[in-house]
Amino acid sequence: MKRVYKRIGSIALSAVMALSLAACGGNDDEKSGSNKTTKQEEQANKTEEGESASDVTLKFANYAVLEQGYTEFWEGVKKDYEEAHDNVTVEYVSAPYNEIVNTIINMAASGNRVDLLFGEISWVPGLMDTGLASPVEDILSQEFLDTFYPNVMEDYEIDGSHYGLPLYISPFVLYCNKDILKEAGFDAPPETYDEMMSMADEIAKLKTDDGNKIYPFGQTTASVPVSGVALNAMIFTMGGRLFDDEGNLSVDNDGFKQTFELLQELDKKQYNPQNAKLKDLRNLFALGQLAMYYDQSWGFNGISSINEDAADFAISAKPLKGGSGEGKSMLQAHSIILVDNGEEQTAALSDFVEYLISEDTLQDYLQNITPAYPATKSMADMELNPVLEGAKGSESEVISQPFIPEISDIDLELASLAQAVTVNQKDVDGAIAEFKTKAETILK
Amino acid sequence: MKGRLNNRRNGDRLFSAVLLIPILVLSIAFILIPIVESIFLSFQDYGSKNLISGKPGVWNNFENYKDLFRSGKIIPSILITFKFVILVVLIQFIVGMALALILNSNIKGARFLRSVMMMPWIVPTVISALIWMWIFQPQYGIFKYFVSVITGGAVTDFAMLNNPQTALWGVIIAALWKLTPLMTLLLLAGLSNVPTDMLEAAKIDGANAPTRFFKIIVPYMSPVIKVSVTMSIIENFKQFPLFWTMTGGGPNDATQTLAVLSYREAFVSFDHGSGAAVTTIWLVLMILVVWIFNIAFPKEEMD
Repeated sequence: MKRVYKRIGSIALSAVMALSLAACGGNDDEKSGSNKTTKQEEQANKTEEGESASDVTLKFANYAVLEQGYTEFWEGVKKDYEEAHDNVTVEYVSAPYNEIVNTIINMAASGNRVDLLFGEISWVPGLMDTGLASPVEDILSQEFLDTFYPNVMEDYEIDGSHYGLPLYISPFVLYCNKDILKEAGFDAPPETYDEMMSMADEIAKLKTDDGNKIYPFGQTTASVPVSGVALNAMIFTMGGRLFDDEGNLSVDNDGFKQTFELLQELDKKQYNPQNAKLKDLRNLFALGQLAMYYDQSWGFNGISSINEDAADFAISAKPLKGGSGEGKSMLQAHSIILVDNGEEQTAALSDFVEYLISEDTLQDYLQNITPAYPATKSMADMELNPVLEGAKGSESEVISQPFIPEISDIDLELASLAQAVTVNQKDVDGAIAEFKTKAETILK
Repeated sequence: MKGRLNNRRNGDRLFSAVLLIPILVLSIAFILIPIVESIFLSFQDYGSKNLISGKPGVWNNFENYKDLFRSGKIIPSILITFKFVILVVLIQFIVGMALALILNSNIKGARFLRSVMMMPWIVPTVISALIWMWIFQPQYGIFKYFVSVITGGAVTDFAMLNNPQTALWGVIIAALWKLTPLMTLLLLAGLSNVPTDMLEAAKIDGANAPTRFFKIIVPYMSPVIKVSVTMSIIENFKQFPLFWTMTGGGPNDATQTLAVLSYREAFVSFDHGSGAAVTTIWLVLMILVVWIFNIAFPKEEMD
């Protein structure tokens, strides 16, 4: 008897589960059905009202929408553009900075491709290699493309086509705390690494008002690709190279070695915060615990998000000269990478990009929110954020990096090399030899 | 009569089989097929280009595995993973058992302590990682301050996560904080199965505390210990968020476990074939470790 009850109980339970599942499914169907109906009705209404039947949704992958200092600008771009274009909806696809590329690749793998991505110039080779980034010539008018500085566009060129566009540009500039420099007895930022080191000796003797240490100089070396990019820029300033013009690994040069020798010396003297990410350096700088450091110009947004009064003490300077180099840095650009999703999408995309990279849209943003240099000739006379005054001219003194799809991985290895000679205190030659082995395997 | 009994048995078997179908389908679809596909992928040259275009990868035999050994990445990652698992499981078990014994000893406020103790386990792993990252922050972290106080000002710049010798310990501390509560809870549940009359009899017979612990408590708890330690081995073997958030595998690859290496190969280098090769090695090692543990810790039935 008990067994019969058990069986009845089990069947009843299974039936309930099955019904619940069916009910859930049915509910979804109904929901999607009702959504479909509503959308169809909306579409019909719009057509009746005389609006365009070909509504377009531009999927815009943008990590910055999630970042405090940038949200307002990007939401404003969406709102203003949609107000001016009834048939276009800008839909942000957001994910944290480190995850946005994976997000769009996974979306594309499932057939859901975004139309454009806001990101780093260093992401372009990888995205071109995956087949996601499209040549901008296929989407944008030549007239519009001609407004960009040719030397800037060179960094997006792969086999004669350009696979991205700069929204704005900057080399790695040297941000300095003029109050700390003054307290240490200096009126102006250094121009060479030798000057920086002698200034650092004095700055290292200072403390903050609450007794905390003040680091003289900051160069990011954390285990993230952007630290590798920053290190690459520092190698350029010292006259070194990572790749030759053909894109082959080429690290047997003085500038490359001198960079890591300098990093080791800075570490031994405890002048550079160990293993720091750029955001750690921004934090220390904002709190008055770092006298000078290398950052992309828009890093100032991160500083002023922490300390609203940062503009009172922050100044910029050109990248330092030293070693075998003349202080020429690496071009950095917040970039737009486009995806060709068919004629209807690309027509809207072209219009949106021209709207986005225009003086009207970017003027306030570059002046007050994210200090950077304009990338087009048409914006050449635009007033810059005052904090960039000291580094003016450095944006044109940059060295191009050849196309390397595996660049993110190489950047991570560069960060590991910097850690090897600093926190691991390895001999520079030995560490470079290890780096070469790893890099050659990556580039196989 | 016998025929009816057989029919009923057959019916029961059929009914059990029907009930098993959903879980079998789910296990095959979401566990077995992805594992087999991942192993298959590990023998191919397969990148994001293939993922997006839908083009199949190119079979390259053991090239992905060879590259991992050639680059010198895989062996240090295996060693770091084993070091992490052994240390965390061992310390977690000892601390968990000590806490379980304390909480089982009818001390005042045991129920309150039990609730408070569970809090780290409830906190999401990434949040735990961020909390510990800030605690260990080299410039203004509280840990640096404590070290400075404890050493009387002799060490003022201790940076746990920046030093290749101590970075793994930083993650181990975070893992212990996060995972010890669950171990304690499981062992506490196991302690309730230990017969008190047996313990009292042993006490009357003159058995001291260690003898009672090793000869009565541990054997009675052995099924629970086996399950909880196995769970802990698996959990720590696949630990990823703590490492990725706290150190990203650095400094200088000192905390690059198999989990971090697999992610880095697949989602930073976009070499999914190589990432799958790391995952396959990782899977085989995990199965081996759990198998060895099960052999070393045989099932012990207590009367």
